[in-house]
Amino acid sequence: MTEARFDEVIHPGTRLSVVALLAAADWVEFAYIRDQLSLSDSALSKQLSTLQDVGYVHLDRETSGQRRRVRARLTSEGRVAFRAHVAALREIVAAADVSETL
Amino acid sequence: MDEVSAQEARAALAAVERGRLSVVERIAVPAWYWWFVAAGWVVLGILGDLGNPWVTSTATLLFGALHAGVAPRVVSGRHGSGELSVRAEVAGGRVTVAVLGGLVLLTGVTVGAAFALSADGSGHPATGASVLAAVIVLLGGPMLIARFRRAARVAGAP
Repeated sequence: MTEARFDEVIHPGTRLSVVALLAAADWVEFAYIRDQLSLSDSALSKQLSTLQDVGYVHLDRETSGQRRRVRARLTSEGRVAFRAHVAALREIVAAADVSETL
Repeated sequence: MDEVSAQEARAALAAVERGRLSVVERIAVPAWYWWFVAAGWVVLGILGDLGNPWVTSTATLLFGALHAGVAPRVVSGRHGSGELSVRAEVAGGRVTVAVLGGLVLLTGVTVGAAFALSADGSGHPATGASVLAAVIVLLGGPMLIARFRRAARVAGAP
């Protein structure tokens, strides 16, 4: 069972959406994340570098012809942190549900 | 963490689920794969009616080898687009089994239909049966994958 641990790096809204998308995939193209979350290139780059700095995300850059592609993927540390964060969120909701029923 | 309200946690979990669903929507087998299988089926049917066992056998082996070359990369449903690769646990492991099992089942349907057409006096029973199989592939293939997408949607957050 995943140990619950609230993660301050993952939690902010946009970053959580980015990580949630990456968590369901092996890798995702930069352009797909940008379009899916309606972000600008610079806003997404900023979020990804924050996640990269803490070791949660790895970026693969490859050039095919004149096209440059960037693929983002969660590292195993990022995946563990995401699962722990989701578990922490569920605990908060469960605790609130229990107190509401009392 | 204490400052996070239950309402905020629920909203965050909803965002997590939206992220998962946007990936689930990308579970797909490329359209060219269904066309490749359907076209191959029809060609084999036509060759079967021409009645040269060597040509039919060689073409069947060639088609089987080509299929074996492309199928592992596409039938899992995880690489339907070049934009992302769906995680195996999200796509579910049964897509490959369902697609390949469906093709085995379709082989039986083709043979049965060919016998039925032949008994009915058709001059080109194998062609007729393979066209039927091709239509089933083109219509049924995407429907099968849509079914797996629906199952993955309700499977729950990771």
